[in-house]
Formats: sequence, structure tokens, C-alpha cells
Amino acid sequence: MAVATAVKARTRRSPAATVLLVLGAAYCLLPVLWVVIASTKSAGELFSTFTLTPSTHLFDNVAALSDYRGGLYWRWMANTALYAGVGALASAFVSAMAGFALARYAFPGKSVIFNLILAGVLVPGVILAVPQYLLLAKVGMTNTYWAVLLPSMISPYGIYLCRIFAAAAVPGEVLEAARMDGAGDWHAFARVALPMMRPGLVTVFLFQFVAIWNNFMLPYIMLGDDRLFPVTVGLSGLLNQGATQPAMYTSVITGALLSVLPLVALFLSLQRYWQVDLAAGAVKA
Amino acid sequence: MTTLPAVTPAAERSAVTTAADRPGRGRRRSGTPYAFLAPALVLFTAFLGAPVVYAGYLSLRRVKVSGLGLGRGSRVEQWAGLSNYTRVLTDSEFLPSVGRIALYGLIVVPLMLGGALLMALLIDAGRSRAGRFARTAIFLPYAVPAVIASLLWGFLYLPRISPISDVLNGAGLSAPNVFSSSWVLYAVANIAIWGGMGFNMIVLYTALRTIPGELSEAARIDGASDVQIALRIKIPVILPSLIMTFVFSLIATLQVFAEPMTLRPLANTISATWTPLMMVYRDAFIRNDIHAAAATSVVIAVATFALSFGFLKLVGSRAFRQED
Amino acid sequence: MRKAIGGALAASLLLLAAGCSGSDDDSGGTAGGGKVELTYWSWAPNMDKVVEGWNAGHPGIHVTVNKQDGGDPAVTKLLTAIKAGSGAPDVMQAEYQKIPTLVSADAIADIAADAGGLKAKFPDSAWNAVTLGSESVYGVPQDSGPMMFYYRADVFEKLSISPPATWDQYADAARKIHSANKKQYLGTFSANDPGWFAGLAQQAGASWWGVQGDSWTVTINDAATQKVAGYWGGLVQEGVIANTPMYTPDWNAALNDGTQVGWLSAVWAPGVLEGNAASTKGKWKVAALPQWDPAKPASGNWGGSATSVTTQSKHKKQAVEFITWLNTDPAALKALAGTANIYPAATEATSTALTAPPAFFAGQQDFYAIAAEAGKVTNPFTYGPNVNVAYSAYNDAFGKAAEAEQSAAFTAALGTMQTTTVSDMKTAGFKVAG
Repeated sequence: MAVATAVKARTRRSPAATVLLVLGAAYCLLPVLWVVIASTKSAGELFSTFTLTPSTHLFDNVAALSDYRGGLYWRWMANTALYAGVGALASAFVSAMAGFALARYAFPGKSVIFNLILAGVLVPGVILAVPQYLLLAKVGMTNTYWAVLLPSMISPYGIYLCRIFAAAAVPGEVLEAARMDGAGDWHAFARVALPMMRPGLVTVFLFQFVAIWNNFMLPYIMLGDDRLFPVTVGLSGLLNQGATQPAMYTSVITGALLSVLPLVALFLSLQRYWQVDLAAGAVKA
Repeated sequence: MTTLPAVTPAAERSAVTTAADRPGRGRRRSGTPYAFLAPALVLFTAFLGAPVVYAGYLSLRRVKVSGLGLGRGSRVEQWAGLSNYTRVLTDSEFLPSVGRIALYGLIVVPLMLGGALLMALLIDAGRSRAGRFARTAIFLPYAVPAVIASLLWGFLYLPRISPISDVLNGAGLSAPNVFSSSWVLYAVANIAIWGGMGFNMIVLYTALRTIPGELSEAARIDGASDVQIALRIKIPVILPSLIMTFVFSLIATLQVFAEPMTLRPLANTISATWTPLMMVYRDAFIRNDIHAAAATSVVIAVATFALSFGFLKLVGSRAFRQED
Repeated sequence: MRKAIGGALAASLLLLAAGCSGSDDDSGGTAGGGKVELTYWSWAPNMDKVVEGWNAGHPGIHVTVNKQDGGDPAVTKLLTAIKAGSGAPDVMQAEYQKIPTLVSADAIADIAADAGGLKAKFPDSAWNAVTLGSESVYGVPQDSGPMMFYYRADVFEKLSISPPATWDQYADAARKIHSANKKQYLGTFSANDPGWFAGLAQQAGASWWGVQGDSWTVTINDAATQKVAGYWGGLVQEGVIANTPMYTPDWNAALNDGTQVGWLSAVWAPGVLEGNAASTKGKWKVAALPQWDPAKPASGNWGGSATSVTTQSKHKKQAVEFITWLNTDPAALKALAGTANIYPAATEATSTALTAPPAFFAGQQDFYAIAAEAGKVTNPFTYGPNVNVAYSAYNDAFGKAAEAEQSAAFTAALGTMQTTTVSDMKTAGFKVAG
């Protein structure tokens, strides 16, 4: 790495590269820029002033959004943090244990289990939502936080990644040494393997965080009480109020902006952990 | 990081069970891996395995209505054999929706991965001060959920709002109606590309960083240009990563749903069966025919399996295999 | 098999949830002291405030409102809950056109024994919608949506057009307005709003479903609806009416900036206009729908719903007590009209709750008189058990037609709707005549 940096420091700057990169960045930032500007406009200005001219109504819009049904929007935000945060944390932990077992133990049924889990990667959430609902209804858990949290805790993809991370980051000798010292399996995992897998686990966490936050169908079907909604389902409801109600565009736009901000902050602060080497397993094989 | 709720007790219980299973501490460890796997397996069985099996079961059943279908007992559930499957496969909307996503995939996958590869190579080459900024900016859309991304683009597509049509109008050109039948596929594809490019770029960039700098340096001393280095050295080395991003993009293509669903109320040109998954949605929630929806789901799942594993077999990749 | 899977799942869930306390959600069931807890799904704004009036006066029956996203998502969730055998609320707002579907799925209960006596309090058309013409009663009518014509009086005045009394005059007005300003339209043909089109067909005398002995009839493709489809196809082909859907940001913008200067809508329109086009306040007026035959004035219905008791409710008697109060008590009607902003179906409401025009139409004193007249001349219309299928076919078929901008495509789309609807009913096993 050090050598590479040294080499690069000597390379010439290329204007063509800069132009391409800036174009790529502009394409990705355009809708973000739009939503930032649009959220400063009043309902009247939204459709009448030039698109990229900002206005001064951001605080009015935030206040109006906060006023909606007694601050329901903030409850949606808190719910989203709960679903995505707790769900992803639990998922990372479950995946870590499973990935560790698959990478560092030999046992009967291992390949069957691994292949089953891999097959799970391919099943779309939309297909699962209805049977999940019907099954959860049998135990009376629909329309509760659990209905969204529990299904969010399993991530076949997270297990797949954790297996790769465990295989790459936790040398067998270290585990053997820990066992020699009399550490139990649980101890070897929690105190030795887990810290070594940490960068990978952050990736799995972020990955599942986004997956839960993106999964619209599951909460949409599971929840009847809008106080339990995550922000995506809530905003979609504000937008589609049915024919007899006006759509609340300014609130939706402001809400969309505010909901994305924490996620962007989380991503930027954890950016250095993004090391998704999808093919690490393949390279090793 | 706060405490781990819900799962922690289960995990600790597993560990305790393991210790109890193992009289000669550290000797016989046969139960250990299963204990580590237990939470994952329970969750997997409950929320993936059982629903999938249940969907398969539902796809073989049907509801038979008699008479007016009002009043109690006018509906009975019965075995349907494969009739739901024949209905789905002969539905006049099914093949067009498959064709549509094939075309959609042909647009999205190359453009998204091409863009991601280009950006990753440009940033990796380190020829521009804009690299860091671009990396962050291009990754940003990944933080925006598909539903919200579609909403934002939905606004930007409307001629009255779009700054692009303002620019075109200013130049004396008329902006195309992106929701017309000839453009709508690109309009949806653009949202997927926008949302997916950054993530794939990071994956490819991570792979590029693992290439030793000496390799490119040696080639450069031999007089190779940046483009040649990229084509002859870097791309072949990260090929396995490219293959995996390709497979995951392929899966995402087959599952395209949120973008067209969100844009649908804005356009005349996106039908309820625009993609196969939308057809599942229509059957389950609009037609209230969960059995047909289950059959379509099974067809989509089987197709996804066949395509992704077929592709991996074709390129002879050993990703997804075990290394023991 | 079903049981086995359910059992296995239950076991694994219990295992998993063993370490967690119960959920903090307290929906359904009876709290201590014999107090009955009812849940109520509704999408009307401020319904929780209306229900506060009930809760304050009825300590024995407590109602909790769960706000829904709208008629379609609420029905989707209710039907899923019915399939699952649990999870449905006690009381449910149900659009009139969904009632046959809900009855057919055994989702809403027959409450004739407790609510049968309410017939006299509602207009026949509304009562018919909750009885499906039978002895059963599947809900208490809550609101109705008689259709009316809203127009920008300032634009009409400037071009010296008088509000159209017939559809021919409407077409002329549309031509005049569009030729005076190429950006302006008197309306749009919305392929996204089947309820709107059904209301216009209803005005023309269509009734898309019907019951004949023990079988259904489906007449979406009848002469009356053909006439309506052909009329709109002609206007779209001519280019004097827009062809883009309603309820999009673009449509809102058009209402705001005065490029859409008319709207064929229903009695609830002022709320939508106020929310979406606040800047045009004071410029709108309302009139009766244009007529096919001015000698026989008629109207249609767009929107409107009943309050039903679900089959899963364990407290049906108390639920009926509540919905009777909600939809007939003078104080409740006042709250429905004033707080929840809906047009109550109860006959009494016109004289007690709807005395002043809506704020957005403050200048038009006869607003509710026009609405009441429209309600009186609303044609009968029967909905079938698969309205969703027909409506979804409308979206797809008329979406294509609107895009093609060909009059012939509009009448052809009607044929597609008819075949799709009939074949869906036959596949499901319904008896369909013809």
C-alpha cells in the first residue's frame, strides 16, 4: 500500500479523468441537490418557481411535518432507527456466529446448510412478505414491532459475507492457541474471533441496515397501526392519500430529505469500513 | 455499540448448551458448530425456509367460489394441481413482462457496471484530485432507499419541474416526455443505475486496491498507458469481483419492483404487470388471488436460480463454492 | 401440512422470543374491568378526534383509531388478515365498491339484527350499497361522493363561456379554452382513476354488475359506458383535453398555475383543491355535472364509504353500537363534517351539519344545495365481487388508450375490461350469466 501511494504521488494529473469523475459525481448528486432545494420551498413555490432556486421555507416545512398528527413523523424515524439499527445489529451478530462456524469447523451437513443459506440470497423480499404474514399471524405477532424486527434479523447474504471474513481474518492457529490456553469455544469466538472480524462485521451491519431500510413490503404488509410504521411506509402513505385527500408534497419532500440525512451521516462516518470484496471467496478457491 | 437485544439470550443459551454437551472440555466438539449456527438456522427456517415452503404449498391450492360467492361457505380451498402454473405461464401479460425485464437488464447491467468500473478505475488511477469527492458522491445514492429514490426522480422527470427540460427548452429543443412508451423503460432503468452504481463501484474499487502497486508500475516502465494497464492488468485481476457484481445485478434485475411501482401513478405507460414481480403483487393484493401469486413467485425463484447458477457455471467461477 | 408448518414456526418463534418480554403493542382484546376495547381502521383525516367524542361519553367501550393509507391498502391488509385468521380490526372503513369483495371474502359481518332499523336514516342509494339489495346489512353508510363539476369562474368569464349544462357544451367549452391558450385544458382523462370513470358511466345510466337469480351479470361494455368512453376518446384524440393522470405532482402544478381550469369531481373536491392549489382560492365555482339529457338530470358517485364490522371482531354488538353513533348521532355527524372533512351519508346531515359552504368555496352559498341535488339524482349502480380486477384492467387498458390518443382505442379498452373481469370471475368459480 505504501509503495502504491508513493508511485501514485508521482503520477501526472489528468484533466480528462477529472471531467469524467465530476460528471459522475454530478449525476449522482443531482436528485440530492434537488431535494435539498425543494425542501426549502413552500407548497405554492414548489411548482411555480425555477427548480433550482432555493427559498426560505425549510423551517416552516419541518414544523408542518412535525405537526402532522402530533409528531408522528419523528416516531416513524425512531421506528426506522429501531428496525434498521437493532435488526442490523442482531443480524450481524447472528451472521458472525454462523459464518464463524461455517468457516472454522468441519461437521456433517455443513455443505447442505451453506448451500441452503446461499439459495436464500436469491429469494426476493416481495415474495416472502405474504407467507411471512400468514405464518406470523398464526402466532399472533402481526402488527407488532417483532413482526418487522424478527424477519429482519436473518440475512443469508450477511452469513455468506461473514463466512468469507471469518475465513480470511481469523487464522486457525490463533483459535488453536486460544483453545490450548483452555478457552472454551464460546470464549474463542467472542474474545478472539469477533474482534478480528470487526471491520467485516461493520460492513455486514451497514449492508443489512440498508436492506432493512429498503424493504418496503414487509412493514407495509405486517403493520396496521401507523404508529409502528418505518419512515418509508409512512411517507408513501402521505403521498398516496386516496382520491379524496390532497397529497402532502412539501411534507413528503422534506420528510424524504430528513430521513436520508442520518443514513448519509452514518455512511460517511463508517466509509472506511466499506470493503466489500464479493469475490474474496472465489479468489481463495 | 449498545447491548444486543433479542438474540443475545438465545446465543448465550446455545453456548451453555454446548458446554453441557461436552463432558471432556475441549475434547469432543461435535455439537459446537451447530450451537453457533442455531440462531441463524432458527431464524432462517422461520422466516425464509417456512415461507418458501408455504408459498410452494399455496401455489398448489386454489379457492373455489360457488354461485354468487356471497354468504358464508361459498368459498372452499382445494387442491389445484399445477393449474395455477399453467394459468401464470399462459397469462397474456406474463411473457411481455419477462421480455421487458430482459430488455431492462440489457440496459441496466452494462451501463451500471460499466459506469461503476470506469469510476473505480479512474479513482484507483489517482490521476485526479476529484477522486475522493467523486467516490463519496457516487456512493451517496446507496443511502437512499429505492422508494425514495424513485420519488425524487419521479419529480425530476416531470417536464414542469425538471431542470433538464428547462435547459433543453432554453436551447430551443423540446424535452422528450420520459413517461411515453418509448422512454419509460429508460426512465426506470436510470433510477436503478443511479442507485446501484455507487455500491458496485465500491466493490470494484476494493478489489482494485488489492492489486500490488508494483504490477502497474512495472507495466508503466515498460511504456504501457493507463488505459492499457487498466485493460491488460487491472480488469483481468478483478474479473472474479466483476463476475460477482454481475450475478448480483442480474438477480436485482429479475426482482425490479420498487421503482416501477412508485412511478406507476405518474404514468399511463407502466401497467400493473410491467415486471414479473409486479404481477405477483397484482395477483396477491389487487386480485386477491394468493395462489396465482405464489405460483408466479415460484416461477421467478426457479428462473433466478437457473440464471445465476447457470451463469456461474458458464464462466467456471468457483465463487459460491466451499473451499474445503 | 399447513398446521405442521405453523406449529414448527410457532415453536421456533417461542424459542427465539423466550428472552424477550412481550411486545408493547396493546391492540385488541378486553382490558380489565369488563371494558371493551375496539380497534377501528379508517383513513379519514382526524378520525381519532371524532372518536374522542365517543370515548368521552362511553367509558365501557373504548375505540382506538388506526389511521390507514387509503381505501386500497386498508382492504389489502384486511383481506390478508382474514386469510391469516387473525389481525383484523373490529371496525373498518370500507368504500362502497369494495363491499361485495369484502362480503365475498367473508371479511365483514352481517349486522342486520342490530343495525337493520337504520334504513330510514339514509338515502336509498347508500343503503342499497351496504345491503347489496339483500336482507343482510354489511355496514352503516358513512359518507357519499355525489359528482359535480368544478371550474375556474375567472377563466370562464374572460372567455364569456357559461358553465356547460350538457356534455356537448362541455366539449365546446374545452375547445374554446384550449384554442384561446394552447397550454390550458378544461380537464384531463385520467387512466389512473377508475372510480372517476365509473362515476361518469353511472351518470350515463350504466351499472357494471348485477345479480340475476343466482348468477352475476357483467355489463361494463354496455351502450351507456361505450358512449362515455367514446366521448372522452374523441376529446383526447382532438387534443382539447389532457391525457395525463390526476393526482400527480404535474396535475397539482397544473391546477396551481391555471393550466387545468376544470375538474369533474365530487363533493369532497374543495379539500383537495385547497391542499393542492391554495393559490387559486376564490376563483373556483361549482355546478351540477354536464348532462347527456338535460330533461332527465342525473349524477354519479365518486368515493364514499361505509363503516363495517369485521367477522373477526369478538365484540360485534358493541361495534355496531359505536358505528351507529358515529354515522347517525347529530354530534358525530357534525364532527364528521367539520373535523374529518367528509360529506356524511345520513339524510339528516344536510340540515344540521352542513349549513355553511366549505371554506375554499366561501363565496358559493348554494354549495351544499347543489351537492344535495346531485345526491338525489345519482343513478343506482351495483358493484361486483372483483371490482379490483376490473379497476386494475381499467388502469392498464385505458392507460394504453390515453397514450395512443385514439378514440377507437378507448372503446376497445372497454372490451378488454369486460373480458378480463368476466374471465377472472369464471376462473374463480363465480356463476356469470351470458
